Amino acid sequence: MAKIKKERNNDVNIPTSSMSDIAFLLLLFFMVSTVFVQEKKFWVERERWPIADSIERIPRNHTTTIYVMRDETILIDDIPTRIESSEDVFVYNTLVSKKTEDPEVVVCFRTDRETKYGVMSDVMRQLQDANALVVAFESQKRQ
Amino acid sequence: MKIGRKRKGKAEIPTSSMSDIAFLLIIFFMATTKFDVKEGIKIVLPQAAQESSEKVETITLTEKEMTRMQILPDGTIVINKESPREIGNPELDALIKQKLDINDQMIFKVITDREAKYSETIRVVDRLKAANAEKISLSTN
Repeated sequence: MAKIKKERNNDVNIPTSSMSDIAFLLLLFFMVSTVFVQEKKFWVERERWPIADSIERIPRNHTTTIYVMRDETILIDDIPTRIESSEDVFVYNTLVSKKTEDPEVVVCFRTDRETKYGVMSDVMRQLQDANALVVAFESQKRQ
Repeated sequence: MKIGRKRKGKAEIPTSSMSDIAFLLIIFFMATTKFDVKEGIKIVLPQAAQESSEKVETITLTEKEMTRMQILPDGTIVINKESPREIGNPELDALIKQKLDINDQMIFKVITDREAKYSETIRVVDRLKAANAEKISLSTN
């Protein structure tokens, strides 16, 4: 007697019910781990930076930014200061505390390209005194 | 008298497209996120001279060991003892290459006038970095 084959109706399904949970977990992870930039204002616009070719990428996690504006105003953590005499040591004091917090701190300059070099020299002297020796001059990549 | 029929249909919120929405959101965030990596010319400054240090060595360097590049307020550059002149990027590149051919450990001392533009110093340092000059010193007068 011949066997009669039974048709199987079982569908093969990949369970997708937990897919949304996984996706939302990923979404939550990205939302929680995102760190927003703390600077309140971009004091020197990117268009005002000098142009250069040999640019290195500097990871943000060990950096602190010093803005130097054309009128020789210096901004650290959005606090403006000037170096007019040897008694103006705000840059030195701030960098000493930053260096204590993070010994690998990299000081990034966002300086207007028209700024006179004298003020940069004064700031760098205070950095040397504070032993914050690694600096980066932020620049636009030449197109 | 009307007899009410019991409805058997369950009230459900359709969740089948939830994952599509979530993935769309993820893709949106991934596509629009811009990582703020800083880009610039990195330099390590020398340590400040300590007043208390007893041993201060004075070394005399010859032109074979050190090239002096002085940037004046008008943007002209004095190379060693030459007269000041405007030097464009191609000429500067050739000059640096020529100096590095003489000595690949050449020290480049960039002296910028206090009144000179910061961008001029960056231009010279950039050309030095592009030519793989390792020993760059920054100072002012």
